[in-house]
Formats: sequence, structure tokens, C-alpha cells
Amino acid sequence: MTHVAENAAPAAAGTDPVVAVRSLSKTFAGTRALQGVDIDFRPGEIHALCGGNGSGKSTLIKILCGVYHGDSGGEIRAGGDVIGSDRTTPATAHRAGVRVVHQDLAVFPELTVAENLALASGFETGVGGRIKWREQRKLAQQAIETFHIPARPSTPLTELSLAARTEVAIARALRDHGEGHGGLLILDEPTAALPVHEVASLLASLRRLAARGQSILYVSHRLDEVLDLADRVSVLKDGRLVGTRAAADLDKSGLIELMLGRTVDDALRQEAPAVSGPELLDVDNLAVGALQDVSFSARAGEVVGIAGLMGSGRSSLLRAMFGDLTPRAGSVRFEGRPMDFKHPKDAIAAGVIMVPENRIRDAAFLDQALSMNVSISVIRSYWRRLFMSNGSIAADSDDLVTAYGVKAPSSSVPMGSLSGGNQQKVVMARWLRREPRLLLLDEPTQGVDVGARADIYRIVRQATESGSLAIVVASDFEELAAVADRVLVLRHGRIVAEVTGSDLTAQRLSELSYAND
Amino acid sequence: MSHSTTERTPTGAAEATAPDRRRPAFNLVDVLERAGLPLFLVVLVVFFLVNSTSAEPFRSAPNVQNLLGNQSVTALVALAMVIPLVAGYFDLSVAAIAGLANVTAASVMATHGQSVTVGILVALVVGVAAGCVNALLVAGLKLNGFIATLGTYTLLGGFLQYYTEGTTILGVPQGFADWGSLKFLGLPRPFWLLMVIAVVIWYVLMHTPFGRKLEAIGSNEGAARLVGISVDRIVGLSFIGSALVASSAGVLLTSRQGGADPTSGPAYLFPALAAVFLGATAIRPGRYNVWGSIFGIFLIAVAINGFTFLGAASWVSSVFNGGALVAAVAISTLMGRARESRARRVLMSTSRDESPPGSAASSVPPVT
Repeated sequence: MTHVAENAAPAAAGTDPVVAVRSLSKTFAGTRALQGVDIDFRPGEIHALCGGNGSGKSTLIKILCGVYHGDSGGEIRAGGDVIGSDRTTPATAHRAGVRVVHQDLAVFPELTVAENLALASGFETGVGGRIKWREQRKLAQQAIETFHIPARPSTPLTELSLAARTEVAIARALRDHGEGHGGLLILDEPTAALPVHEVASLLASLRRLAARGQSILYVSHRLDEVLDLADRVSVLKDGRLVGTRAAADLDKSGLIELMLGRTVDDALRQEAPAVSGPELLDVDNLAVGALQDVSFSARAGEVVGIAGLMGSGRSSLLRAMFGDLTPRAGSVRFEGRPMDFKHPKDAIAAGVIMVPENRIRDAAFLDQALSMNVSISVIRSYWRRLFMSNGSIAADSDDLVTAYGVKAPSSSVPMGSLSGGNQQKVVMARWLRREPRLLLLDEPTQGVDVGARADIYRIVRQATESGSLAIVVASDFEELAAVADRVLVLRHGRIVAEVTGSDLTAQRLSELSYAND
Repeated sequence: MSHSTTERTPTGAAEATAPDRRRPAFNLVDVLERAGLPLFLVVLVVFFLVNSTSAEPFRSAPNVQNLLGNQSVTALVALAMVIPLVAGYFDLSVAAIAGLANVTAASVMATHGQSVTVGILVALVVGVAAGCVNALLVAGLKLNGFIATLGTYTLLGGFLQYYTEGTTILGVPQGFADWGSLKFLGLPRPFWLLMVIAVVIWYVLMHTPFGRKLEAIGSNEGAARLVGISVDRIVGLSFIGSALVASSAGVLLTSRQGGADPTSGPAYLFPALAAVFLGATAIRPGRYNVWGSIFGIFLIAVAINGFTFLGAASWVSSVFNGGALVAAVAISTLMGRARESRARRVLMSTSRDESPPGSAASSVPPVT
């Protein structure tokens, strides 16, 4: 690593950290998810945690809340307690004062503010288990005043803005902390679902909390917000702490550089420029989901990348071309013919395939054999002389297992017994055996280790070399910069840039995707 | 299909480990899982044959004939239920559709004096029409299958009461009434009918693209759609096929009873349900299947029949059906968990370099 952790100007100098992490490592079945991480969380500090997908952010949070154990050797210090990193449990985390508000908030929209607050702490009850509503309302009123929630105890959450619901969730998480008490509040992507005009109100309330001495760990992909709100920023990459910096010392491109590091995965780098074949795809003013007026065209032999943050409309674009979503407007032509697929089966028949983003939900048949998973796309071709030819299915599947480097004892094992990367290779094999003309790949390497990643992109490149077109969506901009011939950047549903040649770097893609407009 | 199935081989993906071509070795746990239910049936039969009190009446020809004949109707209702269940959809209305076909056949033959052929055809058509309504509700309007078919079940039961005014219809042609009591090659004809229909359903489920797609839907409906399966059409067809089998059960019931009783069809719901769940613990463990269901039917029937000869009162049948239902769910859930943890152990020992997959396969068939 080129960047060394350096202690930046403390927000509240001279005080002991509320929670400190020392030499924290975590290994999953051989993969290092975290390696020797040291972070201090100081009282009254808003500490942001940044890093790309797979950088170890969520693993760190889960260890802090005791959902996972770390490897032995590290420590988590809180107040006077020292907890061995392999002994973390939700109970130790709770005692250490760690509280979490997850992105989905886990609030009950149909219930009132008072009920939502009471459900976690337990109702105040009287004789015969009767709920003391008067007490309950009083407690809720206190919380409402402390956290400046724009509501009354009897207001149902459905009537509140999303920012106010987040405040209720925070109030609930901190209910047993006294005024100005220590402890660490972890907020996981709290603004991801908020409309723009509500973000400011939530950030203001977080600043008030910090001013009262609450220390906050803030996880977000929104870099502008992070730089605006946080006192210090810690950056993780590949499970290591790249550094902890004062937010005042960083600007956005500096932060992006920290997140990406300087290493580019050479294994993925595509040397030869793409063969430009005839034009295959022409998208004209497409509008679907979050997408507006999207137009582009692409040629046979190309790998076209789509960069964009979650919610930029990147998945809708692929799903619309696959007949899974119906566009509101615009047209798509493929090989000169209009692509107005009503159902994925029409797309498949026309030589279009899609590898969806969420493998478990949308692609894998986990309780079925690997052979079924890989042959379902061509199942009709195995119906020979009025019977399913199970022998041919098994033989062909075993061949595909070898050809695609799937690590499995045989093709008869259930899909669910394979690791994520191998499942993904099975999904790729399922489609590529049809020799598709257009490959729509949504995060094709999600949850896949580095070796398998290179395999998957080699498979994709092989398909395009024989005259197909691949459109790849990936959140990992380094990966995208390495594998794509050119990249279209989507922001808020529109194509804002096309990046090619020497411009095509992760840095450039990040700047364009994270830009404000 | 226009596509070719020749494989494109990525030459780059080189460091692939060659799959072990040997089929999995003989595994005792696996065999016991698959054969547990049939073995238990054999044990029960032997027990009743050996026991001096039950042996004589249990093995008497009339008892065997009755057992095989009567249970054929229950088994057909159970098989009707299996078809949509493979796709994860409950069809509780099958018993009522059997009742509908039962009353329709008797009414056309006896009350309206039509021929046996016309009676059978009308009964099947009316039954299939009811299946089309189910298909429309569940596959078309996307209503919850369990609730919607519970609704049609209750509705049809009420309609049968209204139509028959609660009375039994008698007087179907003698030849038709005798058919269900006659034997062929030493076994009752209804049992042969059951075997033929069971083979057909097994063939459709296991050896046609339709059946394979149905199972894909049962495994993951969203993914099935994204691999190009017309989920709505296939689920709809499964309800219609289910109704056709249920109607044949109803027609057979008409022959067995020599008429129709508006309450007897709907009463098959729970015995059939218990058998289908028991069936999912055997032959293809964790999945609803044809032969497992048939073993389930006969297991419950033999137990009730044998214990009656040992002096058990009439409550024994409810106790057995209920007990079987609970036992079936318990066994399949526990076996599923054991299978899952076995799979996880294998995964942990084989993959060194990757994080665990999102979730292991759930082995109890998902039901919508």
C-alpha cells in the first residue's frame, strides 16, 4: 500500500477513544476480508468509513456489532473493557455501547412513533400486563424532543418523511444511552434511500447528535456527503485500512484515489483494441425505470461497460433490453430488427441473454442439481424420442463444468452446495452454451474471487471475439476500466459521458459517476 | 428451436479441475432416506400379517380388494394435488373438483338418462372448467394459490349441496357401477387405472420439458422467468392438468359408489394432503413426487385398516391422517436441515478461496 495511516487532527483532542479497534482481521474460508485494521472512534466525532465493494466495510461493521467474530489476535476496546476480537457477540457489542441503524431501518411504518420506540425497549406494563400508555407517551415525547423528530408520539410512521423515520430508528437505537453518553452509533448508508431534499435534514440532526458528544460511524457511498459531514474518514481497500484522514484535508479526487489505490488488476487488462464489426445494437431515446432519453449504439465484437451508482438506472437498461421491463418510450433495434420483447423468452429466442445482478434471487436454482441449472436454458433440446435424455444432460454438464472451470465434485451436486464464484460460472455456462449474439451482464463478478473474475471475463471476451456484443454493468470501476472497450457513464438515469482509450480509468469513471449536477 | 447445443469452450479457463466422472458412491443414508417410506409400509404389512388377531381379516381377499379399490380414488386426488405443488402452488380444490365430477357423472347418467360415455365426458369437461377458473385466479390474477383454491374448494362444496339438495344420487347404469368392483389380472380395475394415470403423470413431470420447467418454477420462480420460461402459462396448465386428474378421480368414485354423494368428494382433501406431504419425504426426498405420494396413501390406509382389525375405533383414521401430516412435515424439515449442513461441510472443505454462498438450498419445497 502506498498510503500509510497517519493520525490527522483529532476532532476532540486529548480524549480517549469511545471504541477502538486493534489489529482486527477476519478470514472467510481462506479469503482475508479484513487484515490488521486499527481505527479509533473518538467522542463526539463523526467518523466516515469508505471503500468499494468487497473492501471489508460490512465485515468491519458486522464484527463491531458482534454478528461475526474476528480472527483471534485483535482487540476491540470500549471504555475500560478489552474484548478479544474472536469473542465478539451481540451482547458484548451492546455492553460496549455499539448501536446500529441499518439501511432498511427495521421500523414498523403502520405503528406510531411511541410504539416503534417501545417495541425495542419493551413496553412499560402495569398490573396484568396492561401497557401503561401514558408512561409510554411520556418517554416517546422525551425522545422526540431530544432528537428533534417532527412528530407527536401518536403519529404513525407512514405520515413521516423518510428522514424522520431514520431519526426514529436512531432514537430507538440510542434509547438506553443517557444524555451525552458515549458509545458508538453506526449508520449504514442512511441516506441511500432518502430523496435529496431530506438528506440535509438528516445530516443536520446527525451534527446535533455529535455536538452533544455522540460518536458516530457513518458508512456511505456518497462522497460529497462524507466530506461535508465527517470529521475524519477511514478508507478500506481489500480488507486493509488505507488510512484515516481528517476530512478537511481531503477533496473528492483525493478520497477516490485512496479508495482505488494505485494498483490496477493487470490480470483483467485487455490489451488488444476491440475488433469493430458491424453495428448490432441501436438504442434510441429509451426511457424505462429511472432511465430517460438513453441513446447509444454498439458493434459486434465490443465489450461496452456501463458505469453508474446504484439507482442510476443501470439494471433497468439491461432488463428492458431483455424483455423483463417494458419501456415507457423509445426503441431498441438489434441486428436491424426492433427489439420489442414482451417476455425474456422472446429475447432468448433472438439470441439475447442476461446474467442478472442478484444471483441467488434471479438466477440460481439452489436446490436443483448443477446439471439442471446449466441445462435449463436448452432443456427442450434434451427431449429426445419423447424422453428427457438425462444421460446426455449429465455428460454435457460434466463437460461444461470442466470447460468453465467450475469447482464441483460432479454435475449432480446441488447448486446450493457450490461457492458463489462457482455458481456464477454455472450461470455463465448456462447462457454461453447458447452462443448468444448479445450478452447483458449485470455485475457478473459479484461475490467472485479474483481468479474466477479473470476466468469470467476471458469467457466474455471469447464470445465477443467470435462476433457477439457484450454489455457489462459493474460497480467495480477498476474492473470496468480493465475489461471494457468503452464505458458509458449513467447518472440519474441519463448517459452523461462516454469514456474510451487512455481516458478509461477507474479514477475518471468514479469522478463522473460521483459528480454532482 | 433455432439454437444449437454445441458447447463453446473457453480455452482460457484452464486451471479447471476435471470433475470426478464417477457417479456418487453408494450412500446408505441416502438410500434409507429414499426408501424409508416404502420400507415402513412393508414393515406394517408384515406386522399385520404376522399378528394373530389381524392376520386373518387383513389378508382376506375382500379386504385387499377394498383397500386397493377405495384408496385408488384417494391416490388420484393426491396425484392431482402433486402437479401444481411441483411448481410450488397449492391446489386445495382438487377434492371438491373430484366431488363435482362425481355428482356431474351421476347426474348426467342417472337423472338425465344419458349414456355412460356422455356422462364421463361431461364430468371431465365440467371438472376441467373448474380447473380453468383456478388457473385464471392463480396464474392470471396472481392470487395466493392456497387461499384462492381454499375458496373454490368451499364454494364448490356448497354448490354440490345446493345442486343435490343434500341427497345421494343413485341409479347409474349397472355396467358402469360394476366396473369399479371388477378385477383385471387379479387386481381391482381402479388400482390399474391409478397405475396408468400415475405413470402418465410421472412421465409428464419427469420426462417432458413441461415437467422440468414446472420443477424449475417450484425451485425459483423469478429465475425461471429469466431463463425464458412462460411461468404463468405453465402454472395455469398445471392447475388444468390437476383438475383433469381430479375429475377422473370423481368419475371413478361414481363407479365405486354406483352414484354420487355430495359430501364424499370434498372429504378426500385431508387424506390426500397428508399423503402428498408424506410422499415428499421419500423416493425424491424434499420434493413432491408421484410414487412417494402413492406410498404415502397406502401407508396411511394400511395402518388404519390394520389397527381397526386390532380393535381400534373409528377415531383412528383422523388420528392417523393428522399424525401423518405432522410427522411428514417434521421428517422432511429435519432431513432437509441435515442435508443442508452436510452440503455446508462439503463446501467448507472444498472451497479454500471464496466466501460462502449467500444461502444454502432450502430443502423443503417452497410453496407460494
